[in-house]
Amino acid sequence: MVLDARDVISMIKSNMEEKGLPLPIDKSVIYEWSKGLDLPKSGDYLLYTGGLYQLLPYIESLVNQLEKVEKSKAGGLALRFAKKVMKIVDVSKLVSKPDKEVKEYADKVLKSITILLKEAGISFYYDPELDGYSGALLYDMGLVKSFKRHAENVYRLLNEKGVKRVITIDPHTTHMLRSVYPKVVPGYNLEVKSYLELLAERTDSLRFRGGSAGPVVIHDPCLYARFENVLEEPRKLLSAAGYEVREPRRSGKLTYCCGGPVESLAPTLSKKIASNRIEELKEYASTVATLCPICFANLHRVAPSNVRVVDISILLVERLETHGS
Amino acid sequence: MGVKQITYKEALEEIYRGLSDEEFQRGLRIGVGNAEGKFLKILEAHPELRELAALVEDAKKKVIANLEHYIDMAMESLRKVHAKPYFAHTAEEAREIVLKIVGRGKTIVFSKSMVAEEIGLQHFLEESGNEVWETDTGEFLIRLAGSKPMHTTAPAIHLSRQKAIELLRKKLGIKLPDNAMHEEIVGAIRRFLREKFAKADIGISGGNALAADTGSIVLVENEGNIRLVTGYPPVHIAVISVEKLFPSLQIALAAAIVQAAWAGLYPPTYLNVISGPSSTSDIERKRVYGAHGPQEVHVVLVDNGRVAASKHPVLSGQLKCIKCGRCQWECPVWQQTANLWGGPVYGGPMGMGWTAITLGIKEAAELSMLCLGCGRCDEVCPVHVPLSSIIHWLKQQYTGEGEKE
Ligand code: SF4
Repeated sequence: MVLDARDVISMIKSNMEEKGLPLPIDKSVIYEWSKGLDLPKSGDYLLYTGGLYQLLPYIESLVNQLEKVEKSKAGGLALRFAKKVMKIVDVSKLVSKPDKEVKEYADKVLKSITILLKEAGISFYYDPELDGYSGALLYDMGLVKSFKRHAENVYRLLNEKGVKRVITIDPHTTHMLRSVYPKVVPGYNLEVKSYLELLAERTDSLRFRGGSAGPVVIHDPCLYARFENVLEEPRKLLSAAGYEVREPRRSGKLTYCCGGPVESLAPTLSKKIASNRIEELKEYASTVATLCPICFANLHRVAPSNVRVVDISILLVERLETHGS
Repeated sequence: MGVKQITYKEALEEIYRGLSDEEFQRGLRIGVGNAEGKFLKILEAHPELRELAALVEDAKKKVIANLEHYIDMAMESLRKVHAKPYFAHTAEEAREIVLKIVGRGKTIVFSKSMVAEEIGLQHFLEESGNEVWETDTGEFLIRLAGSKPMHTTAPAIHLSRQKAIELLRKKLGIKLPDNAMHEEIVGAIRRFLREKFAKADIGISGGNALAADTGSIVLVENEGNIRLVTGYPPVHIAVISVEKLFPSLQIALAAAIVQAAWAGLYPPTYLNVISGPSSTSDIERKRVYGAHGPQEVHVVLVDNGRVAASKHPVLSGQLKCIKCGRCQWECPVWQQTANLWGGPVYGGPMGMGWTAITLGIKEAAELSMLCLGCGRCDEVCPVHVPLSSIIHWLKQQYTGEGEKE
């Protein structure tokens, strides 16, 4: 039984309208991770996480459930039923139990990023009130009017608080804030940098331990590679940290998608694409460096147990003199 | 007749059947594995091909901006070289024009043509009482299998060697051993089709390009079947969609070369130029039409939505396409589904735009939702068709949130 795209789309749309998030979860999910980290409250750049890493554990359980629906005989019906449940009981069974392992992982990535920013001496601050979701999914699914409304709200808030420069941490949010918002939000004026770009400018200030850290194969996310030209930066950083960076056959501008963009519409198809990619990557090294939460989720889901799929921020922190293990 | 409508759910169901069909998947995996990587090697060895592609793209833009003018020019040039031009607004008109030329009870040899597929020509002529043979090896096999072309230039990409043997035995009674190798299979098809070529009344081809200034049809190939289809029977009909027009013969030749290179076939084995029927004036300098080649050459220019698309702010971009099929090879979804995704005739990234133009925006919009938006197709297209932007626009039509057509 296949899912009906219209059901999935209306689910996302109504959640966005109600919560500003694509899933029926509380906004606090976006900033909870920052508690106790003692992050700076002022600085040159606002750290705008875009919430994708935080949504990851919920996306993971949603996709697992959708896959089950897809495999069941009465998919369409079951999904319609599920939708009702999701609306009535605040957070439905579909997403109420975020994947625990993925949640810990996402928290670790977010923390690692702040460690790296601090170590590199980048002047940044975090304000839970200003963090949120970029609306990437709305845009990707062709919901351009809803997206425009959302983008205007996001920008209005940032503008009111006088934000001029932001640091983004994933390719989707980077692409939206840097390349798509300017096209749809009148008067938009924000300087947007991916944390990888900022770190790469200051690689010398990051004190990595000496010696080799072994080989890693790099999986470029499509948006960084083909739309935002973030290609050299992750390589430079990984090499500086002592990793031997291996290029798979399909890398750089011709990198291969992880299947993520259709994970909620056609999970079985998405998984096939991810498997295709991991098959290739594991030929190069047993550690796969990802730069995007969606890539991580999709590749991690299908990776054999002897292959470690891991975010670049974690790999970098592991090699810091002060934090490495 | 010909094409059928399609909905998102139907398309996804068909795709999932393909995903769980192990033979289909195995054939596709082997085919994609053999094809991928070839392209880059060609471009590395011949960087000058990129310059040629840029010239082709410029010429395409010029033609799309003034399509009707080039159609008129081509009709005039065709007449000058004693070919008979026709213009068909719709698929139905095109089929009727061809039927009028062909009549009934004829033997027809075809060389693979996407536009013939698009207008459902083979079926139509068969149903009208003709014997129709496809002569491109891949297309020949998929016709026997009763399936659709799974790639623009490699239609039988999903069929294994075993499947080919089985089809030839079952459908045509050709004797082949279980372990027949590729060479033996191709030899058997060659022998079978020789006889059809010899008795064919009519040969029907497509066209990789048509030079508006000279009325020359340009066809590129490796098999040699096109030479026979267009050169052996007394009548040749070329069915060509209007976006194949180029301002000059020089650039039409370039387009055919670029198409072959980006399809992974470089250098092409044969490049055919046909400017009207064969002729001789060797006896008393009197021009006689119909020497060794055809006596009549008919050229049916097919619109089927293209002229309207040339004025469309988004879909006009698809008309730049030279149908090399490279975007299909590189697409992560296509690599799993082949042309099961993309529309009834065209498939993969280029299939979305072509389905929108030739079948309907609504149908294409249903299919567009399964695009990853990863942009790999944009990266490899020789003429920079804005594939992912076209597909994103189609998604907006699906959700009803985009600018109206
Ligand atoms: S869109 Fe580009 S890559 Fe795809 S078939 Fe057409 S010309 Fe080739």
